[in-house]
Amino acid sequence: MNFPVWYLPTIGGGFLIALIAVTHVFVSHFAVGGGLYLVYSEKKGLREQDPGILAFTKRHAKFFLLLTMVYGSITGVGIWFIVALVNPGGISLVIHNFVFGWATEWVFFILEISAAFIYFYTFGKMDDRTHVAIGWVYFISAWISLFLITGIIDFMLTPGTWLAHHNFWRGFFNPSFVPSVFFRTFIATMLAGAYGYLTASFTKEPAVKEIMTRFSGKWTLVSLILAIPSGLWYVAVLPTHAHNLVTGQSPTIASALRWGFWGAVGIMIITLIAGIAKPSWNLKPVAVLAFICGFLIVGSFEWTREAARRPFVVNEFMYSNEILKSDVPMLQEEGFLKTARWIRNRTITPENRSAAGRELFINQCYACHTIGGFNNDIIARTRSMSYTALAKYIGKIHKVRYFMPPFAGTPKEAQALAAFIAGDLNGKDVSEPKPSNAGNNSGKMLFEENCSSCHELADLAEKTAGWEQQKIRTALDKLNQLVKEMPPYDGTFAEKDQLVAFLYSLNHKEAVQPVVPSVDGKRVFEDHCSPCHASSDLAEKTAAWDRAKIRDALDKLNQLVEEMPPMEGTKAEKEDLADYLNSLKGGQK
Amino acid sequence: MNDQFIPTPDALPVAWGWLQFLLLLTFPIHLLFMNAMLGSAGISMVQRFKGGEVNRRLAYFLAILLPLLVAFTVTFGVAPLLFVQVLYGQFFYTSSILMAAFWILIIPILILAYFGAYLYDFRFEKLGKAGGWVISIVFILFITIAYFLSNNMLLMTLPDKFSGYFQHMSGTMLASGHPTFLPRYLHMVIGAIAVGGLYTALITRLKSKSDPELAAYGEAVGMKVFNMFTIISILLGIWFLASQPKPVMMMFMGKNGLATGVFVLALILVVLMLVFSFRKKVLATTVVLTVLVYLMTFMRAFLRTGYLGKFFTLDQLKMASEYSPMVLFLVSLVAGIFVMVWMVKKAWQALTA
Repeated sequence: MNFPVWYLPTIGGGFLIALIAVTHVFVSHFAVGGGLYLVYSEKKGLREQDPGILAFTKRHAKFFLLLTMVYGSITGVGIWFIVALVNPGGISLVIHNFVFGWATEWVFFILEISAAFIYFYTFGKMDDRTHVAIGWVYFISAWISLFLITGIIDFMLTPGTWLAHHNFWRGFFNPSFVPSVFFRTFIATMLAGAYGYLTASFTKEPAVKEIMTRFSGKWTLVSLILAIPSGLWYVAVLPTHAHNLVTGQSPTIASALRWGFWGAVGIMIITLIAGIAKPSWNLKPVAVLAFICGFLIVGSFEWTREAARRPFVVNEFMYSNEILKSDVPMLQEEGFLKTARWIRNRTITPENRSAAGRELFINQCYACHTIGGFNNDIIARTRSMSYTALAKYIGKIHKVRYFMPPFAGTPKEAQALAAFIAGDLNGKDVSEPKPSNAGNNSGKMLFEENCSSCHELADLAEKTAGWEQQKIRTALDKLNQLVKEMPPYDGTFAEKDQLVAFLYSLNHKEAVQPVVPSVDGKRVFEDHCSPCHASSDLAEKTAAWDRAKIRDALDKLNQLVEEMPPMEGTKAEKEDLADYLNSLKGGQK
Repeated sequence: MNDQFIPTPDALPVAWGWLQFLLLLTFPIHLLFMNAMLGSAGISMVQRFKGGEVNRRLAYFLAILLPLLVAFTVTFGVAPLLFVQVLYGQFFYTSSILMAAFWILIIPILILAYFGAYLYDFRFEKLGKAGGWVISIVFILFITIAYFLSNNMLLMTLPDKFSGYFQHMSGTMLASGHPTFLPRYLHMVIGAIAVGGLYTALITRLKSKSDPELAAYGEAVGMKVFNMFTIISILLGIWFLASQPKPVMMMFMGKNGLATGVFVLALILVVLMLVFSFRKKVLATTVVLTVLVYLMTFMRAFLRTGYLGKFFTLDQLKMASEYSPMVLFLVSLVAGIFVMVWMVKKAWQALTA
């Protein structure tokens, strides 16, 4: 809301970041581990006085230089560029808080680059001891770069006590820092092995190829084995929400981790069989496959780390859409459109409602959602939701799906956003529902509001085929026990009954529909009672009443309390309201 | 004055003067490397097309060093990019987003140019005359990057134009229509080629023992380029100054004592530098030029404050005082310089043995 949004609706900024970041991380970790690999490879060649190994090392150094200098260093700058374009609020926070962390990293970056050049251009021209020492300068500088960047990146995931003190050191030495440094170091050396394995596959001399394949295989395998406990340690120190997301609550993370798992299995099998046991099997396609496996591991890790932070860019401080957590109550009270900077529609009118909704989408949703694009397409995600369902869902989005930020705006703004998504994007009717007999649509409405963001109607019909109403009802009461990532359904008793009836009717067209309230009791409460009463007050007031007494009271309000006007609702509305009030205190219909 | 579209800046960890000092200290180093890179690429291109034997050797010698210059141009660009974000992030991020579609292109263009530079070096003989076309493409890519950089550096000083965002939400806005853009861009590029000439004269001295003909030719070509392009650059500089809005121009004409002092000193050094360069005193010219690049960087900073003054001054930035990380940086910098000197010394010994 502070900075403008670079708006590419079908591409999305997140995709561009991922494109640069994942490939950069794959090369930059190699740039760290590869330094150590070169030192040990050269030392091996010198110790065994094997010119073949030394020639291999020089050739690998050239490949290393080209890849890490050209692609690695430029995409490193590229990450700065793209993140500043896609999430300027987040990068500004990280840059301002850690400017001297970055500046220190820059010193080691210069040393790293200089040492890499000197190492390559003086290969065979410098005395051996000094040349190896230059290799060490390279590796140590590169590893310190990793150390410094890890502190800042993991601050974003686990800011720890920085949240209270805003202190550089508290942010840098954050809870996930140490396990992350270990994990990244082993990933770096593992990748160095995978890259070495690739260079070995291109080596023509059979003896050198065999020696260096086995050497690379051992590097990869040992590193991978060491990466496993440090990875588990990393996960163990995550805060509860992030931990839950990583351990199954987020379907996208679960999918990413599956790719990473198969990558790890693949590289382990290849290095064991076609590396250590039978180095002659290190053919180019096999080495490329190992290389792809390494990429899957790194890609899976980076994706998981980024996704585990959701819905924040800096955990518990700034949401992915750059809205500060501390600003949300104010924005919900005063409105987003009035307070945000890059907005043209400051107030909502019937004429500009969808244009205002579009601005809300750009500023609050576009950080993660595209329109008709490959990544998190908002149209596909909301296709099954009606305008009213969407408007209500937006209001409780963070509660239902933790990894999405809360909507930072007024209910009217939520409606404008819903009107844009349901109307402009999905072509649905966006007129406000009339308080008339909606018939048996209540259950359908509840489905749309609460289930349709994740479930297709047909899927649930299939899932509940053969279930009795009681079984459906029992399931509704313990959703998060059925599937870990599913949030519990917090509807009232009456709403649950309506939803059960609707779900049951999907497979039992012949079933007699239960009598369901013609209108939503909660809405009636909001329309008629909420100006004076909080629902909790009425629940307390009617705690000892049964439903019949509540219903009776609705007909003689002014007799109960003199200043209370009689209720003007229809009979059906009064029935629904009675159901609703009864359900507030846990009563049955 | 429309400051509605200027974002609220974050707090600084140290007084702004430190960050401004570091910005002005590191940016000229980036400029010197960039100038050597751009200028030597241009000279190598022309020499490759000329086709004579000594021309080919000069082109190749510059080609070998070109990837290193790319790496150091980028590396020394990182620090000023960092410090400018800290001091002027609210302007810089905004202008970058307004021209995002072009700004992000710098990365793939740079990767292509860098690979091209290596291709030109590693395959110099195999490529033959085609190498001339490779380096021509690299040169065009370099000046394209310069075009985008000049655009952003100008656009960030024009907050009045920020409302154009609503017509360019996909990041397609540029500042190249602004009256100061063309002289600014040409002054930078032509000046860079001039400095590239001086770099050529200086660096070919390394060959004075092993290839005296190349050293002499390199010095002759380099100084000729330097003299010619410096004079053009001076004329462009006058145009650049004249194109400025009057209040900004007047800063250098007596309204701001410090800015005027720096400007006058720079003019004196320009004359001194030309005297040295026409006498082919390469080292003396290099020393004066280095001081001059620093002075021009200071003038550029004055120019920026002149543009932004009605919206913002650096002393308005809030500070969350935290100096210990800066100590870490300064200690690392000193240690890094020692290690760097040791490495360069060892490399020099190895390569000249």
